[in-house]
Amino acid sequence: MNGTSRHPMRRILLAAVVLVALVGVFVVRLVDLQVVRAAELSEEAEGRRSTSVTVYGARGDIVDRNGTVLADTVMRYDIAVSPKNANAGPVTRGEPDPNDPSKTVQVDVPLEQSAAELGAVIGLTGEQVQQIIADSLAENAESDFAYVAKLVDTDTYERVKDLGIPWVVPWEHPSRYYPNGAVGGNLIGFVDPDGNAVAGLEYSEDECLAGQDGAYSYLHSLEDWVQIPGTEVVHEQAHDGGTLKLTIDSDLQWMVQRIAEAQVQAVGADWATVTVMEAKTGRLLAVADVPTVDPNAPSATDSANRGSRAFTAPFEPGSTFKALTAASVIDAGKADPVSQIIAPYRYLPPNGANINDSGFHGDERLTLTGVLIESSNTGMSQFGERLSDQERYDDMLAFGLGERTEVGFPGEEPGDLHGGPEGWDNQTKYATMFGQGLTTTAVQIASVYQTIANGGVRMPVRLVDGCGDDTPAQSEGERVISAAASQQTSAMLERVYLEGWLADKWEIPGYRVAAKTGTAQVPDGNGGYLSGYLVSVSGFAPADDPQFVVSVSIMNPVKMNSSAASAPVFQQVMSQVLKKYRTVPSGAPAPELPATW
Amino acid sequence: MTALPAQSAPVPRRTPAPKPERRLRPAPEPGRRAKPRLAYAVIALGGVGLIVAVQLLLSIAVAQGAYEIDAFQVQQAELAREHQKLSEDLDRVESPQYLASNAEALGMVPNAAPVYLRLSDGAVLGQPTPATGGAAASAPLVPNALIDGVPLVTEQQQGQTPNGGTSGEAPATAADAPPVAPPPPAEGLPTPATH
Repeated sequence: MNGTSRHPMRRILLAAVVLVALVGVFVVRLVDLQVVRAAELSEEAEGRRSTSVTVYGARGDIVDRNGTVLADTVMRYDIAVSPKNANAGPVTRGEPDPNDPSKTVQVDVPLEQSAAELGAVIGLTGEQVQQIIADSLAENAESDFAYVAKLVDTDTYERVKDLGIPWVVPWEHPSRYYPNGAVGGNLIGFVDPDGNAVAGLEYSEDECLAGQDGAYSYLHSLEDWVQIPGTEVVHEQAHDGGTLKLTIDSDLQWMVQRIAEAQVQAVGADWATVTVMEAKTGRLLAVADVPTVDPNAPSATDSANRGSRAFTAPFEPGSTFKALTAASVIDAGKADPVSQIIAPYRYLPPNGANINDSGFHGDERLTLTGVLIESSNTGMSQFGERLSDQERYDDMLAFGLGERTEVGFPGEEPGDLHGGPEGWDNQTKYATMFGQGLTTTAVQIASVYQTIANGGVRMPVRLVDGCGDDTPAQSEGERVISAAASQQTSAMLERVYLEGWLADKWEIPGYRVAAKTGTAQVPDGNGGYLSGYLVSVSGFAPADDPQFVVSVSIMNPVKMNSSAASAPVFQQVMSQVLKKYRTVPSGAPAPELPATW
Repeated sequence: MTALPAQSAPVPRRTPAPKPERRLRPAPEPGRRAKPRLAYAVIALGGVGLIVAVQLLLSIAVAQGAYEIDAFQVQQAELAREHQKLSEDLDRVESPQYLASNAEALGMVPNAAPVYLRLSDGAVLGQPTPATGGAAASAPLVPNALIDGVPLVTEQQQGQTPNGGTSGEAPATAADAPPVAPPPPAEGLPTPATH
């Protein structure tokens, strides 16, 4: 009591100092929490209470001209395990009591049993699942993540969930699904397991198809992760990709692929392409490539066969090209279908070239029509030389050769016109008249025939009819040759169809058809030619009002090394096209033109 | 602040000086103040209590709603998965490969020779030719990995679905449903008017 009375002021001061110091400590702590580390702490708090969710923007569908879905986005699931937790010991779960089925008892399930159950669902053995866990732990003793299966379907996912194993976590993984399998597979392309487009239209039209993932987060209750109302924050809106509409008709595409594949197997060919095009619009109705890839399982097909050779494999077209030369000559007014020449077996033009026909024959008195029917190289040379090289070259360019088509398919080749007139040697000058010494793609040849069929107006080649609601502007096309020249060329090709050596093989009763065969030599890459041929047929029907162009190319049919191998394909495909689109049969017969004189 | 200058203020009216009042008066009777009414207090407190109660009920309802929403969202996700499964099944059995295999299994063959009947004059265009050839096995020609192992219509048991399993309700409904009569032919076909 003495102290208090002796120094009251000192004690009060002491208390005050202690009080101030204490308050100071609190203030410092307060500032530290509320100001200095505020952002960090509230982020941590947010992180504990909130959860972030990815919303997948679906990749756009690819549909055919009728809206049939050719490529679809589906949800698949990756199954992952936590090796650390799996190894931590047996898991408990409720099972019906064997003594009293109405009750459940808690039983311990050892890792072996869980692994075996999981493996049975995802197609592995229990040992394999355990091996994955053991391998992951060997790498990192604290490993919390390892995949046991990727891209499993919904059914498997649900069965995995029903197992209720706590250390198994399924993850969503959007994936691609091609309901029609290999129908148009070479065109559509495919995506890799990570969802990146790697081939075909999936790749070239990725900008249209790709969706954009979004994200949102929300606060959740501690125990059962139920979203607290009003706490949802959208960080990024998800956007679905656009629907890509093709000009392809999937039913026709299937039929054409089926016909082509059957013939490739029958004649032992290396590969084949069949192109079906609308004569009046340049739209591709079907582009069949054999061998075919099933985009659901692309690895089953050799990587060289996964693209579309109709676009990517230029070849020397051979005699189908004679139609182009004939059209050029007629358009220039240097000949007409009944112009006469004498076609020898061997023709030696003044410039030193040496041209011969495929089979020996005596001198033949042929008209231009006859030259096409007999497919005479020497006859065609005598007509072709009536034009300058430059004139013919300009026409080839106008027909769309020597540059990529408007489709812009991945890996599409422009073909090679051997540089141009200045690059042509004396032999090439003549060879280019009948389709050797230059290369074109199958689609380019179809486009040439489309031009002839469409009154001389070339339409841009189209494979895609728009993305989402966008439709590309309709083109008027470009006139390449006069309507009269195209009509005369068409009439000559009708005589080829009626009088050519394959007339009974490609007959389509009721319709007027214009067609030309080709049996082209194939360069071996070292300046010479291979022993096999590329056989082809191109043509259109009905010739009185052309609607459809069909172009068939078959590479090296070892069992039938002539265009007789391609003619049945042309006949079947053209019949199918005419039947499918309910084309009215032709009325009047084809006009007569003399082949000889 | 006024906009008028002080001089322009009206001159106060002169009135005769009032008689000075008496400054002292008796104090008024105390205790005549109005009694505070109990009702006001009850209303005020009751209002506060009501607000608190309503807010409590609302937040309970919202929280309860959150659980309901959650349950529905789970259900929605399940149904979406179910929908996807079924539409995948449907898509693949719609594929031309599967249809063709089924048609061939039923003994159908394609006829490549089209014949047309012109309705305006009844003319037959084209040569009617019976389809030839046996049922070709086209399945391997255009592969489709998705229909591997899916049974054809001729291989399915009664009530079995093309995805290989028996769907939950399908057999029951198929058995319960009365046999459906074929739809009457459309009226588009021209019929001869004979008497």
